Amino acid sequence: MSTNRGSIEELIYDSCLVLDDNDYDGYMALCAPDFTYKLSAYSPEVKREMAWLDHGRSEIEELFKTLPKHNSDRNPLTRNAIVYKVRIDDDHKQADVVTRLQIFKTALNGGHTELFAVGKYLDTVSLKGEQPVLLNRHVKLDTRDLGWGYHVPF
Amino acid sequence: MSRNQTQWTQRPHLPSSHYVDPAIYFDEEIFKEEREKIFSKVWQLAIHESEIPNPNDYRTYQHPAGRELVIVRGEDMKIRSFYNICPHRGNLIAYEPSGNAKRLVCIFHQWAFDTKGDCIDIPRGKEGYQDRLCEDDVGLKEVRTEVAYGGFVWVNVDDNCGPLSDHIGHALDYMLPELESEPLDVFWYYQARLKTNFKLIHDTNSEFYHDYLHYHNRITGMMKPDSGYFQRKYEAFPNGHASVGSMKVDYESYKGGGHSSLGWPELPPMGWKLVDLFPCITFNLRTSVLRIDSYIPVGPNELILEFRALGLKSDTPEIRAQREKDAATIWSPFGRNLHEDLLASSGQGIAMTADSDPMYVLHGREENQTIHDEIGMRHYLEEWSRRMGRSSSDPYARQGTAKSA
Repeated sequence: MSTNRGSIEELIYDSCLVLDDNDYDGYMALCAPDFTYKLSAYSPEVKREMAWLDHGRSEIEELFKTLPKHNSDRNPLTRNAIVYKVRIDDDHKQADVVTRLQIFKTALNGGHTELFAVGKYLDTVSLKGEQPVLLNRHVKLDTRDLGWGYHVPF
Repeated sequence: MSRNQTQWTQRPHLPSSHYVDPAIYFDEEIFKEEREKIFSKVWQLAIHESEIPNPNDYRTYQHPAGRELVIVRGEDMKIRSFYNICPHRGNLIAYEPSGNAKRLVCIFHQWAFDTKGDCIDIPRGKEGYQDRLCEDDVGLKEVRTEVAYGGFVWVNVDDNCGPLSDHIGHALDYMLPELESEPLDVFWYYQARLKTNFKLIHDTNSEFYHDYLHYHNRITGMMKPDSGYFQRKYEAFPNGHASVGSMKVDYESYKGGGHSSLGWPELPPMGWKLVDLFPCITFNLRTSVLRIDSYIPVGPNELILEFRALGLKSDTPEIRAQREKDAATIWSPFGRNLHEDLLASSGQGIAMTADSDPMYVLHGREENQTIHDEIGMRHYLEEWSRRMGRSSSDPYARQGTAKSA
């Protein structure tokens, strides 16, 4: 396939749009068969990297299936991403992508929007197929106080 | 049948120990009294010793009584706590939550203190103070500190308090084998700022009837006849503490997160022990992870929750990664159970305010002290009432006024 930065950026932005819509099948369709997902934050208090989600593809699929059985904050999120860096490795047919992420939460009751979290996507994108797909996603959060939390991965 | 206003505000036909006047969850005056009569008097879990492993390491701590503290490991390896305030002009000494400093130096005028709290330098002291004031006069204010029960660092801002063991009594005996089998290590620390009362958070940790809230707990315990879930018993201890008996959690019944069989030394396989300590600490040991909750109330309807997750100091990187994964399933900000707990406790904070006309809150379940008995909350509020000199079901009686709501 011929890959340009634009198609990689579109993948990143698509991943935000489908998750904003809680379209979990749509999200998984953007991921490679051996996809991994990790979400972490660094604690300066105890000087440790904290892994709050760490899943392979089958585990994250199960997580998505199970979430509707739980009691959750249903206020929707808006993921605002800006792709900062794309480094394409032609030999391995993959790309490393750094994306700045801001996540807003809008209240179902009244519609007030507030900034919920900031961080980065550190992605590895596979370029082996017809379309680029996510091979590894590492959400590295700067925000650590997420109030009562949230069930849907960022 | 729905109720009219008179019925709504009527006291329940239960013993007064079995319901609560909601004013104790939002009254500003009561909150100020709690700071004075409870938080300024009791031992509080501040940090774990693994957070300051080396000489001259320090951590800051926002004490629930309102004091800013800095906790320091000295070169003699002893851990001491001080007010984090420069005796000169009242500036913070340590700004960052953790660090390493042989001398604690105030950035304002460079007054310096050693890890024993002694002032060791006043720039141009002799020129300014002549013989009227010297380093010996301006040491830091030390705070009573003990390290115990699994290496936790406990502080008490009351110089005249009794020893920590008097406060804890036998409440942690049940978990001591697990806490002291080998050195522990903190791998998570994070906060959650919420709009609710600290006692509502502690209530949630003190009753398990709310397992109806948790799909995970229903499917891995409550609905499993052989899990021992309904046989778990509360044990109440002096000073408002309580523990909950263990059970066997069937983690395999939950799809979508997984939980390993890694386990914890001395804890029965798939076991779960919990101890609630008055006024705002919970030790929660579940299979492979020890979770510690401690709260910093900052107002009657606002608090900072501090969460810690601990493993063993001897963990290999692979084992530690598995413990993190186990903890993440239910207890991270994205975990299935913690989010549900905090949603419910925050919902109480939203629903019960001075203007929302809340009813008396029920704490009335009696089931022979087993898991859905609400004795944990009742026992806690008995101690609260004793310390406050107010009844939790009639907090204004002392002043001869009626119920607030």
